[in-house]
Amino acid sequence: MLSFLRKIFARGDHEAIPPMDVEELRTTFKVRYHHFKLLLNANNKALEMMTEMEHALHGNRPFGMAFIKAACTAISANVFHIVKNLNELAPGKYEELYDRFKEIQENISRELSVREHRIGDKLVIPLAEADKDMADQVGSKMANLGEVRNRIHLPVPPGFAVSSLGYHRFMEHNKLQVEIDRRIQATVAERMDELFRLSADIQQLIIRSEVPADLEEAIMEAYREIEKQAGAGVRVSLRSSALGEDMAGTSFAGQYRSELNVSAEHILHAYKEILASKYSLAAMSYRLNRGIRDEDVSMSVGCMAMVNAVAGGVMYSRNPMDIRDTSILINSVWGLPKSVVDGSVTPDAFTVSRDDPGEILSRDVRVKDRKFVCYPDEGVCRLDLTGESSELPSITDEQALELARMAVRLEEYYGGPQDIEWAVGDDGIIYLLQCRPLQQMESTRPPGEQPPAGSDDSAAIILAGGMTASPGVGCGPVYIVRKDMDALQFPEGAVLVASQSLPRWASMLSRAAAVVTEQGSVAGHLANVAREFSVPALFGVLHATQQLKQGDLVTVDADGLKVYEGRIDALLAARSEPKKNLMAGSPVYEMLEKVAEHIVPLNLLDPDSTEFRARNCTTFHDITRFCHEKSVQEVFSFGKEHHFSERSSKQLFCKVPMQFWIINLDDGFKGEAGRKYVQLDNIASIPMLALWEGMTAVPWGGPPPVDTKGFMAVLMQATTNPALDPTMKSDYAARNYFMISRNFCNLSSRFGFHFSTVEALVGERPSENYISFQFKGGAADYPRRVRRAVFVSSILQDYGFRTEVKEDAAFARIEGHEEKFMRERLAILGYLIIHTRQLDMIMSSNAAVNNHKSKIVSDIESILRGEYTGKKCPTGSN
Amino acid sequence: MQVDAFSVLLVDDEPEFLETLVKRLKKRKLTVHGVKSGEEALQWLTKESVDVVVLDVKMPGMDGIEALRQIKQNHPLVEVIMLTGHASMEVAIEGMELGAFDYLMKPMDIDELLYKLQDAYQKQSLRRQKIKKMKEVVEAGDAGN
Repeated sequence: MLSFLRKIFARGDHEAIPPMDVEELRTTFKVRYHHFKLLLNANNKALEMMTEMEHALHGNRPFGMAFIKAACTAISANVFHIVKNLNELAPGKYEELYDRFKEIQENISRELSVREHRIGDKLVIPLAEADKDMADQVGSKMANLGEVRNRIHLPVPPGFAVSSLGYHRFMEHNKLQVEIDRRIQATVAERMDELFRLSADIQQLIIRSEVPADLEEAIMEAYREIEKQAGAGVRVSLRSSALGEDMAGTSFAGQYRSELNVSAEHILHAYKEILASKYSLAAMSYRLNRGIRDEDVSMSVGCMAMVNAVAGGVMYSRNPMDIRDTSILINSVWGLPKSVVDGSVTPDAFTVSRDDPGEILSRDVRVKDRKFVCYPDEGVCRLDLTGESSELPSITDEQALELARMAVRLEEYYGGPQDIEWAVGDDGIIYLLQCRPLQQMESTRPPGEQPPAGSDDSAAIILAGGMTASPGVGCGPVYIVRKDMDALQFPEGAVLVASQSLPRWASMLSRAAAVVTEQGSVAGHLANVAREFSVPALFGVLHATQQLKQGDLVTVDADGLKVYEGRIDALLAARSEPKKNLMAGSPVYEMLEKVAEHIVPLNLLDPDSTEFRARNCTTFHDITRFCHEKSVQEVFSFGKEHHFSERSSKQLFCKVPMQFWIINLDDGFKGEAGRKYVQLDNIASIPMLALWEGMTAVPWGGPPPVDTKGFMAVLMQATTNPALDPTMKSDYAARNYFMISRNFCNLSSRFGFHFSTVEALVGERPSENYISFQFKGGAADYPRRVRRAVFVSSILQDYGFRTEVKEDAAFARIEGHEEKFMRERLAILGYLIIHTRQLDMIMSSNAAVNNHKSKIVSDIESILRGEYTGKKCPTGSN
Repeated sequence: MQVDAFSVLLVDDEPEFLETLVKRLKKRKLTVHGVKSGEEALQWLTKESVDVVVLDVKMPGMDGIEALRQIKQNHPLVEVIMLTGHASMEVAIEGMELGAFDYLMKPMDIDELLYKLQDAYQKQSLRRQKIKKMKEVVEAGDAGN
């Protein structure tokens, strides 16, 4: 064994290698090339994921924590791969990178680890003990109700909250979070049908889990306390009071389930149903679109004695659609307030002035054809209303005034407009069931105001009437939704048309251009979410589902209460406010921003700089860039230094010797090459041949006619820039080198005074194919060089490359396409490398640039049409 | 790339996922066997020849990282690809430090997995070649002495 090692070390790089060692060297080349290829693959994947991160930060595409975690993990794994393979290529030389990697990775881990702050030690908290400071234990809904009951002293039914600690207890007991995260990661969030299945699965999972004994006991004991106040066997309501519901500008309206009139024996089941509704389709897509982290939402649940309501509804202490309107808006129906909230009945609407004593400003009594009431045993039933009572006002004027006074008190107490749910019990008392801040919008046209009389295009009006549930104008094809399955196929940009304004339609709002419904009120959940997402919504439009035809293009003017046929640009133009980016500022978005800081920025720009060192890598992008540069150098020098006939660099021969040298990394030649030269016919490298085809397709016409100034600029640079002095050139840069294998090609070249690198991997695996191109320098003055960089990148953009210009350097990348496409792109690059040489000299003005562009584009088009096929050997070599 | 048929062992406790993956890889001309736990995987490796193992990270009983450790210890030439539904940077790096060939996340494209399998197999056969060469040299050296 020792003798073997001695042999290897003694051999060095000298000639005259015995034949058996040639085979061994061949294997060594193969191994090295394999590591190099793995490095390139990982490099490519890492860069792709980084680009995806940047896109997520720029665009309006929603993403969740699962995306961030998966992206960070994929990037880490690939960067680690890169470091590992570089160290295989040059053992011991780059060990320091492991430390850099660890440090960066720990920084990211720290950002990602959610600091769970759990406050309180009670699983259950009675309403009598709750106030607004307990929002992080019982959720804002129950905290507010506690405040209303204990501080403002307005009637609230007795009840309690199962705290967020209770929620965590339940989740941990059943080890649910890990399993849920796994399922979310495995689902393509953009696909509605997949999201739907995921939602159903997770909800089932939660409902099938058991409530731990201590939690069960705490809940049932709190229930017995309610019984003491409200009577034995009292039925209860259970509603979500999720933490995180009140995050900046988010309403969560109607995202979660409520269970009404539940008997003692079913409280635990109802509790689980409400927990499960955290993963309803509407709630999941809402969180995704608003950038709210799953783990930030813990489901506290409120449980209160059931009010057997004679009438009920929702009121707003101000007009949500118009910040200038101070009157109080009351919506009311017969029976439980449920039908206002879920939009299934169009309610009576009262407007009351806020002065004392208040005055009823308007009274709009509707036909309420149904109501919900409590069954004696359990649950609620829907009763159809016919005859007189359906047309009578559901509350008296006195009740309306009393409600208004309550609204004003609440608003004054909280110091802002409120959204209040209430019910009139069979004892005549008005109970408050919910109270939360109301989001108001700026209205440009007061709701309900008709457009100027004699509006021109009345012929195009399909529908008129209803009420503005969310202001604005939207246009798109009609899509009528009748059942859940319809929602899964809802097309992006369509107008959502439905009979009722059900909260579950909210899952489509992020993709809807506008909403039109036959039933519903501005106080319903769907209206809330529509306003939040700035989707124009028109509710209460009679016969909308019959009058509007599936697929027809319509324009919905929610302010003008009209639906027009076709696209009415004048209306749309007046309302062309950009949709707000709902992700920006959200917790998920901020998390991505934080982790991206350790990943995306590139600090190591210049490989020739003394700062270009492993120890200066502070981001994953730095490591990636550094390793790529070094790996190419390692492979290059290894190939160049091993003077055994098969692998050493050879001069390309095509009729005559070319000024190009080739290093064969693995299987880049078809057969044996000569000692000094390799024939073009003997090249097997797919990307090199494609590049070569472009380089030789159109004969170069020589340098373009130079204006005197341009020529002077070249001379000036040549005398002041030492890198352009031929005696200073490094070995690597001096010649034009191709490093090749069958599927790989790296060309470093210097034409005229500019330096360019093309690297490409092209083969049968489209997902691994890529081309990267860098172009820098030039001999002309700085503005001209910059102009040329911009020029080159603009052409490449037209052909699908992603490009970036930094100072006088242009960078371009393209990846993931199949072989033929990639070969064409390489031909374009080959052409550009040759034909843009010294172009900076004529880049005196933008006009000159455009002039030249048309010639170049027409050449490229002929190349793509195949007019120059067949490898050529240029007549005059460089 | 021309790749000869090689042998793959899939380890995943999700029966549905396992079954589908076995079927789909068999269609791609690989010799594939599936087992449901790390323990079973180690047992299988003692009696059958396997080139590449695809290992789920989170499994009841012996977890993926432990299984990886033992595979690498007892069968250093076998390449292991980690495949997981739980994205975790820490586990990914731990796995790769222990010598996993790569770390993939579900859902993954079947072709992506196939490419990784081919690359892992190629790495392995290059290592085998090298070892064979070394042996020959050593033997030749010994014979010469």
